[in-house]
Amino acid sequence: MNRVIIKRYLLALLLFLLPIISLAAVPTWQIVPAESSLTFTGTQNGAPASGSFKKFTGDIAFDPNQLKESKVKIIIDISSVTTTYRDFTSTLLTPDWLNAIIFPNATFIASHFNKIGNNKYTAEGSLTLRDKTIPVTVLFDTEELSKTKGRVKGSTTIKRTQFGVGQGEWADTDTVKDEVQVDFVITAIHK
Amino acid sequence: MQLLNTENRFGLMAIFLHWLMAILLIGLLILGLYMVSLPISHEKLKLYGWHKEYGFLALALAIFRLLWRLTNITPRLSLPLWEKLAARSVHWAFYFFMFAMPLTGWLITSAAGLPASFFGWFVLPNLISPDEASRVLFQEMHRWIGYGLIATIVLHASAAFKHHFINKDDILRRMLS
Repeated sequence: MNRVIIKRYLLALLLFLLPIISLAAVPTWQIVPAESSLTFTGTQNGAPASGSFKKFTGDIAFDPNQLKESKVKIIIDISSVTTTYRDFTSTLLTPDWLNAIIFPNATFIASHFNKIGNNKYTAEGSLTLRDKTIPVTVLFDTEELSKTKGRVKGSTTIKRTQFGVGQGEWADTDTVKDEVQVDFVITAIHK
Repeated sequence: MQLLNTENRFGLMAIFLHWLMAILLIGLLILGLYMVSLPISHEKLKLYGWHKEYGFLALALAIFRLLWRLTNITPRLSLPLWEKLAARSVHWAFYFFMFAMPLTGWLITSAAGLPASFFGWFVLPNLISPDEASRVLFQEMHRWIGYGLIATIVLHASAAFKHHFINKDDILRRMLS
Protein backbone atom coordinates (compact mmCIF):
# COMPACT_ATOMS: atom_id res chain seq x y z
CA MET A 1 0.00 0.00 0.00
CA ASN A 2 2.66 2.53 1.07
CA ARG A 3 4.86 1.60 -1.81
CA VAL A 4 2.07 2.37 -4.27
CA ILE A 5 1.62 5.84 -2.76
CA ILE A 6 5.35 6.49 -2.85
CA LYS A 7 5.49 5.36 -6.46
CA ARG A 8 2.64 7.70 -7.32
CA TYR A 9 4.39 10.59 -5.61
CA LEU A 10 7.61 9.84 -7.43
CA LEU A 11 5.77 9.71 -10.73
CA ALA A 12 4.05 13.02 -10.01
CA LEU A 13 7.37 14.56 -9.04
CA LEU A 14 8.96 13.27 -12.22
CA LEU A 15 6.13 14.67 -14.35
CA PHE A 16 6.49 17.98 -12.55
CA LEU A 17 10.23 18.10 -13.12
CA LEU A 18 10.12 16.90 -16.70
CA PRO A 19 9.73 20.32 -18.34
CA ILE A 20 12.53 21.73 -16.20
CA ILE A 21 14.82 18.84 -17.05
CA SER A 22 14.12 19.10 -20.77
CA LEU A 23 14.55 22.88 -20.66
CA ALA A 24 17.90 22.48 -18.99
CA ALA A 25 19.12 20.74 -22.09
CA VAL A 26 18.66 23.92 -24.14
CA PRO A 27 21.48 26.39 -23.58
CA THR A 28 20.46 29.49 -21.68
CA TRP A 29 21.84 32.90 -22.47
CA GLN A 30 22.70 35.96 -20.45
CA ILE A 31 22.11 39.33 -22.16
CA VAL A 32 25.08 41.71 -22.32
CA PRO A 33 23.29 45.08 -21.91
CA ALA A 34 26.20 47.20 -23.18
CA GLU A 35 26.13 45.34 -26.49
CA SER A 36 22.37 45.12 -26.85
CA SER A 37 19.74 47.63 -27.93
CA LEU A 38 16.03 47.94 -28.43
CA THR A 39 14.87 50.80 -30.64
CA PHE A 40 11.57 51.85 -32.17
CA THR A 41 10.75 54.08 -35.11
CA GLY A 42 7.38 55.64 -35.69
CA THR A 43 6.27 58.23 -38.22
CA GLN A 44 5.15 61.78 -37.33
CA ASN A 45 4.13 64.24 -40.04
CA GLY A 46 5.57 61.89 -42.66
CA ALA A 47 9.03 61.72 -41.09
CA PRO A 48 10.65 59.16 -38.79
CA ALA A 49 10.73 59.64 -35.02
CA SER A 50 12.69 57.10 -33.04
CA GLY A 51 13.81 56.22 -29.57
CA SER A 52 15.01 53.32 -27.51
CA PHE A 53 14.49 51.42 -24.29
CA LYS A 54 17.69 51.44 -22.29
CA LYS A 55 16.75 48.69 -19.87
CA PHE A 56 15.43 45.26 -20.65
CA THR A 57 16.09 41.82 -19.26
CA GLY A 58 15.44 38.38 -20.62
CA ASP A 59 15.24 34.66 -20.01
CA ILE A 60 16.59 33.14 -23.14
CA ALA A 61 16.81 29.42 -23.80
CA PHE A 62 17.67 29.04 -27.43
CA ASP A 63 19.32 26.38 -29.52
CA PRO A 64 19.01 26.31 -33.33
CA ASN A 65 18.99 22.52 -33.10
CA GLN A 66 16.28 22.42 -30.48
CA LEU A 67 13.86 25.03 -31.72
CA LYS A 68 10.91 23.16 -30.22
CA GLU A 69 12.38 23.43 -26.77
CA SER A 70 13.59 27.01 -27.18
CA LYS A 71 11.93 29.79 -25.22
CA VAL A 72 12.42 33.49 -24.96
CA LYS A 73 11.00 36.00 -22.55
CA ILE A 74 12.05 39.66 -22.72
CA ILE A 75 10.93 42.17 -20.11
CA ILE A 76 11.23 45.82 -21.08
CA ASP A 77 11.43 48.62 -18.52
CA ILE A 78 9.05 51.22 -19.97
CA SER A 79 10.40 54.09 -17.88
CA SER A 80 13.81 53.58 -19.51
CA VAL A 81 12.49 55.02 -22.78
CA THR A 82 14.81 57.62 -24.30
CA THR A 83 14.56 59.80 -27.40
CA THR A 84 16.60 62.64 -28.83
CA TYR A 85 14.06 65.23 -27.74
CA ARG A 86 13.05 65.84 -24.10
CA ASP A 87 9.39 66.66 -24.80
CA PHE A 88 9.05 63.57 -26.99
CA THR A 89 10.36 61.34 -24.19
CA SER A 90 8.15 62.90 -21.51
CA THR A 91 5.09 62.65 -23.77
CA LEU A 92 5.70 58.94 -24.36
CA LEU A 93 5.64 58.33 -20.60
CA THR A 94 2.23 60.00 -20.11
CA PRO A 95 -1.04 58.07 -19.62
CA ASP A 96 -2.03 58.73 -23.26
CA TRP A 97 1.01 56.87 -24.56
CA LEU A 98 2.94 54.20 -22.66
CA ASN A 99 1.60 55.14 -19.21
CA ALA A 100 4.80 54.09 -17.48
CA ILE A 101 3.41 54.40 -13.95
CA ILE A 102 0.46 52.05 -14.46
CA PHE A 103 2.23 49.76 -16.95
CA PRO A 104 5.90 49.72 -15.90
CA ASN A 105 6.86 46.76 -18.12
CA ALA A 106 6.23 45.38 -21.56
CA THR A 107 6.80 41.68 -22.10
CA PHE A 108 7.57 39.65 -25.16
CA ILE A 109 7.23 35.88 -24.89
CA ALA A 110 7.96 33.44 -27.69
CA SER A 111 8.06 29.67 -27.77
CA HIS A 112 7.47 28.95 -31.47
CA PHE A 113 10.49 29.32 -33.68
CA ASN A 114 10.84 28.56 -37.38
CA LYS A 115 13.99 28.38 -39.39
CA ILE A 116 13.46 30.32 -42.63
CA GLY A 117 16.99 30.46 -43.99
CA ASN A 118 20.65 30.28 -43.17
CA ASN A 119 20.83 31.69 -39.60
CA LYS A 120 17.43 33.29 -40.17
CA TYR A 121 14.41 32.57 -38.02
CA THR A 122 11.00 33.78 -37.08
CA ALA A 123 9.69 33.81 -33.56
CA GLU A 124 5.95 33.66 -33.09
CA GLY A 125 5.11 35.10 -29.75
CA SER A 126 3.03 37.62 -27.95
CA LEU A 127 3.73 41.13 -26.85
CA THR A 128 2.12 42.62 -23.78
CA LEU A 129 2.20 46.39 -23.92
CA ARG A 130 0.04 48.49 -21.59
CA ASP A 131 -2.89 46.14 -20.87
CA LYS A 132 -3.06 44.46 -24.27
CA THR A 133 -1.49 41.17 -25.32
CA ILE A 134 -1.28 40.62 -29.06
CA PRO A 135 0.46 37.99 -31.21
CA VAL A 136 3.64 39.30 -32.78
CA THR A 137 5.99 37.65 -35.24
CA VAL A 138 9.62 38.67 -35.01
CA LEU A 139 12.15 38.12 -37.80
CA PHE A 140 15.73 37.65 -36.65
CA ASP A 141 19.10 36.34 -37.64
CA THR A 142 21.79 34.84 -35.46
CA GLU A 143 25.52 35.25 -35.49
CA GLU A 144 28.05 33.28 -33.48
CA LEU A 145 30.65 35.69 -32.11
CA SER A 146 32.54 33.02 -30.21
CA LYS A 147 31.88 29.63 -28.63
CA THR A 148 30.16 31.29 -25.71
CA LYS A 149 28.89 34.51 -27.25
CA GLY A 150 26.17 35.12 -29.77
CA ARG A 151 24.32 38.00 -31.34
CA VAL A 152 20.75 38.20 -32.54
CA LYS A 153 19.49 41.02 -34.73
CA GLY A 154 15.85 41.32 -35.53
CA SER A 155 12.84 43.44 -36.15
CA THR A 156 9.08 43.50 -36.28
CA THR A 157 6.37 46.01 -36.98
CA ILE A 158 3.53 46.58 -34.57
CA LYS A 159 0.43 48.73 -34.75
CA ARG A 160 0.48 51.10 -31.81
CA THR A 161 -3.29 51.63 -31.64
CA GLN A 162 -3.88 47.89 -31.14
CA PHE A 163 -2.08 48.29 -27.81
CA GLY A 164 -3.80 51.57 -26.99
CA VAL A 165 -0.56 53.49 -27.38
CA GLY A 166 -1.95 56.92 -28.22
CA GLN A 167 -5.26 57.46 -26.45
CA GLY A 168 -7.99 59.95 -27.26
CA GLU A 169 -7.03 62.39 -30.02
CA TRP A 170 -3.73 60.53 -30.46
CA ALA A 171 -5.60 57.44 -31.70
CA ASP A 172 -5.82 59.34 -34.99
CA THR A 173 -3.20 57.83 -37.31
CA ASP A 174 -2.95 60.77 -39.72
CA THR A 175 -0.27 62.72 -37.90
CA VAL A 176 1.32 59.82 -36.01
CA LYS A 177 1.16 56.65 -38.08
CA ASP A 178 -0.12 53.40 -36.64
CA GLU A 179 2.90 51.31 -37.69
CA VAL A 180 5.91 51.34 -35.44
CA GLN A 181 9.01 49.42 -36.37
CA VAL A 182 10.89 47.73 -33.57
CA ASP A 183 14.54 46.79 -34.06
CA PHE A 184 16.73 44.97 -31.61
CA VAL A 185 20.24 43.68 -31.19
CA ILE A 186 20.77 41.21 -28.40
CA THR A 187 24.25 40.08 -27.56
CA ALA A 188 24.33 37.24 -25.05
CA ILE A 189 26.74 34.81 -23.46
CA HIS A 190 26.22 31.25 -22.28
CA LYS A 191 25.13 31.14 -18.69
CA MET B 1 3.94 93.69 -68.48
CA GLN B 2 6.88 91.33 -68.75
CA LEU B 3 8.53 88.62 -66.73
CA LEU B 4 11.93 90.24 -66.31
CA ASN B 5 12.72 93.49 -64.51
CA THR B 6 13.50 96.57 -66.57
CA GLU B 7 15.37 99.80 -65.80
CA ASN B 8 12.12 101.37 -64.60
CA ARG B 9 9.87 98.64 -63.34
CA PHE B 10 9.68 95.27 -61.66
CA GLY B 11 8.87 92.28 -63.82
CA LEU B 12 6.03 89.86 -63.21
CA MET B 13 8.27 87.26 -61.54
CA ALA B 14 9.75 89.71 -59.01
CA ILE B 15 6.27 90.99 -58.10
CA PHE B 16 4.88 87.47 -57.85
CA LEU B 17 7.78 86.31 -55.62
CA HIS B 18 7.46 89.41 -53.43
CA TRP B 19 3.79 88.82 -52.63
CA LEU B 20 3.96 85.05 -52.48
CA MET B 21 6.76 85.24 -49.94
CA ALA B 22 5.05 88.06 -48.06
CA ILE B 23 1.98 85.85 -47.55
CA LEU B 24 4.08 82.77 -46.79
CA LEU B 25 6.40 84.45 -44.29
CA ILE B 26 3.64 86.36 -42.47
CA GLY B 27 1.63 83.12 -42.35
CA LEU B 28 4.62 81.22 -40.94
CA LEU B 29 5.22 83.93 -38.32
CA ILE B 30 1.59 83.82 -37.15
CA LEU B 31 1.54 80.00 -37.20
CA GLY B 32 4.86 79.87 -35.35
CA LEU B 33 3.78 82.27 -32.61
CA TYR B 34 0.47 80.42 -32.19
CA MET B 35 1.81 76.85 -32.20
CA VAL B 36 4.51 77.44 -29.57
CA SER B 37 1.85 78.76 -27.18
CA LEU B 38 -0.12 75.49 -27.30
CA PRO B 39 0.30 72.68 -24.75
CA ILE B 40 1.55 69.36 -26.16
CA SER B 41 -1.32 67.99 -28.20
CA HIS B 42 -2.22 66.34 -31.48
CA GLU B 43 -3.03 69.77 -32.95
CA LYS B 44 0.33 71.21 -31.86
CA LEU B 45 2.24 68.34 -33.49
CA LYS B 46 0.24 68.76 -36.71
CA LEU B 47 0.89 72.52 -36.80
CA TYR B 48 4.62 71.93 -36.24
CA GLY B 49 4.53 69.57 -39.22
CA TRP B 50 2.96 72.29 -41.40
CA HIS B 51 5.34 74.96 -40.11
CA LYS B 52 8.33 72.81 -41.06
CA GLU B 53 6.99 71.94 -44.54
CA TYR B 54 6.07 75.50 -45.46
CA GLY B 55 9.33 76.71 -43.89
CA PHE B 56 11.25 74.48 -46.29
CA LEU B 57 9.11 75.78 -49.13
CA ALA B 58 10.12 79.31 -48.06
CA LEU B 59 13.79 78.29 -48.15
CA ALA B 60 13.41 76.86 -51.66
CA LEU B 61 11.67 80.04 -52.82
CA ALA B 62 14.35 82.19 -51.14
CA ILE B 63 17.07 80.39 -53.11
CA PHE B 64 15.17 80.91 -56.34
CA ARG B 65 14.43 84.53 -55.47
CA LEU B 66 18.08 85.31 -54.67
CA LEU B 67 19.17 83.78 -57.99
CA TRP B 68 16.47 85.81 -59.77
CA ARG B 69 17.60 88.96 -57.94
CA LEU B 70 21.26 88.42 -58.87
CA THR B 71 20.58 87.69 -62.52
CA ASN B 72 18.13 90.55 -63.07
CA ILE B 73 18.61 94.27 -63.11
CA THR B 74 16.99 96.18 -60.25
CA PRO B 75 14.69 99.07 -61.21
CA ARG B 76 16.02 102.52 -60.47
CA LEU B 77 15.06 104.02 -57.13
CA SER B 78 14.62 107.80 -57.42
CA LEU B 79 14.95 108.75 -53.79
CA PRO B 80 17.29 110.88 -51.66
CA LEU B 81 20.52 109.10 -50.82
CA TRP B 82 19.71 108.27 -47.18
CA GLU B 83 16.26 106.89 -48.12
CA LYS B 84 17.79 104.83 -50.88
CA LEU B 85 20.34 103.52 -48.41
CA ALA B 86 17.62 102.69 -45.87
CA ALA B 87 15.49 100.95 -48.51
CA ARG B 88 18.44 98.89 -49.78
CA SER B 89 19.44 97.93 -46.21
CA VAL B 90 15.95 96.69 -45.43
CA HIS B 91 15.90 94.89 -48.78
CA TRP B 92 19.07 92.94 -47.94
CA ALA B 93 17.92 92.42 -44.35
CA PHE B 94 14.96 90.55 -45.83
CA TYR B 95 17.34 88.30 -47.75
CA PHE B 96 19.14 87.59 -44.47
CA PHE B 97 15.81 86.71 -42.79
CA MET B 98 14.62 84.59 -45.73
CA PHE B 99 17.64 82.32 -45.21
CA ALA B 100 18.27 82.66 -41.47
CA MET B 101 14.71 81.72 -40.48
CA PRO B 102 14.41 78.39 -42.34
CA LEU B 103 18.04 77.45 -41.66
CA THR B 104 17.76 77.96 -37.88
CA GLY B 105 14.43 76.12 -38.02
CA TRP B 106 16.08 73.23 -39.85
CA LEU B 107 18.82 73.23 -37.20
CA ILE B 108 16.22 73.04 -34.40
CA THR B 109 14.48 70.07 -35.94
CA SER B 110 17.86 68.42 -36.61
CA ALA B 111 19.05 68.99 -33.02
CA ALA B 112 15.77 67.52 -31.74
CA GLY B 113 16.38 64.44 -33.90
CA LEU B 114 12.94 64.83 -35.45
CA PRO B 115 13.45 65.28 -39.19
CA ALA B 116 10.74 66.84 -41.31
CA SER B 117 9.06 65.63 -44.47
CA PHE B 118 8.64 67.89 -47.49
CA PHE B 119 4.94 67.41 -48.22
CA GLY B 120 5.38 63.65 -48.16
CA TRP B 121 7.84 63.71 -51.09
CA PHE B 122 11.02 63.16 -49.12
CA VAL B 123 12.48 63.58 -45.67
CA LEU B 124 15.00 66.37 -45.17
CA PRO B 125 18.30 65.10 -43.74
CA ASN B 126 19.42 66.25 -40.31
CA LEU B 127 22.10 68.98 -40.53
CA ILE B 128 23.62 68.12 -37.14
CA SER B 129 23.33 65.21 -34.75
CA PRO B 130 20.72 65.44 -31.99
CA ASP B 131 21.79 67.53 -29.02
CA GLU B 132 19.67 69.22 -26.36
CA ALA B 133 21.96 72.22 -25.79
CA SER B 134 22.17 72.97 -29.53
CA ARG B 135 18.41 72.68 -29.86
CA VAL B 136 17.86 75.29 -27.14
CA LEU B 137 20.44 77.58 -28.76
CA PHE B 138 18.93 77.37 -32.26
CA GLN B 139 15.44 77.73 -30.83
CA GLU B 140 16.44 81.03 -29.19
CA MET B 141 18.10 82.19 -32.41
CA HIS B 142 15.01 81.27 -34.46
CA ARG B 143 12.79 83.13 -32.01
CA TRP B 144 14.84 86.36 -31.94
CA ILE B 145 15.48 86.39 -35.67
CA GLY B 146 11.71 85.95 -36.00
CA TYR B 147 11.08 89.02 -33.83
CA GLY B 148 13.60 90.88 -35.98
CA LEU B 149 11.70 89.83 -39.10
CA ILE B 150 8.41 91.07 -37.64
CA ALA B 151 10.00 94.45 -36.83
CA THR B 152 11.49 94.66 -40.33
CA ILE B 153 8.16 93.84 -41.99
CA VAL B 154 6.47 96.59 -39.95
CA LEU B 155 9.19 99.06 -40.94
CA HIS B 156 9.05 98.06 -44.62
CA ALA B 157 5.23 98.23 -44.81
CA SER B 158 5.14 101.56 -42.94
CA ALA B 159 7.65 103.02 -45.40
CA ALA B 160 5.61 101.75 -48.35
CA PHE B 161 2.42 103.30 -46.95
CA LYS B 162 4.22 106.54 -46.17
CA HIS B 163 5.37 106.80 -49.79
CA HIS B 164 1.90 105.98 -51.07
CA PHE B 165 -0.25 108.14 -48.81
CA ILE B 166 2.05 110.97 -47.75
CA ASN B 167 4.58 111.38 -50.56
CA LYS B 168 2.00 110.13 -53.09
CA ASP B 169 4.74 108.58 -55.27
CA ASP B 170 4.77 105.30 -57.18
CA ILE B 171 6.93 103.27 -54.74
CA LEU B 172 4.07 101.05 -53.56
CA ARG B 173 2.30 100.94 -56.91
CA ARG B 174 5.30 99.62 -58.76
CA MET B 175 5.18 96.49 -56.61
CA LEU B 176 1.52 96.02 -57.55
CA SER B 177 1.56 96.40 -61.31
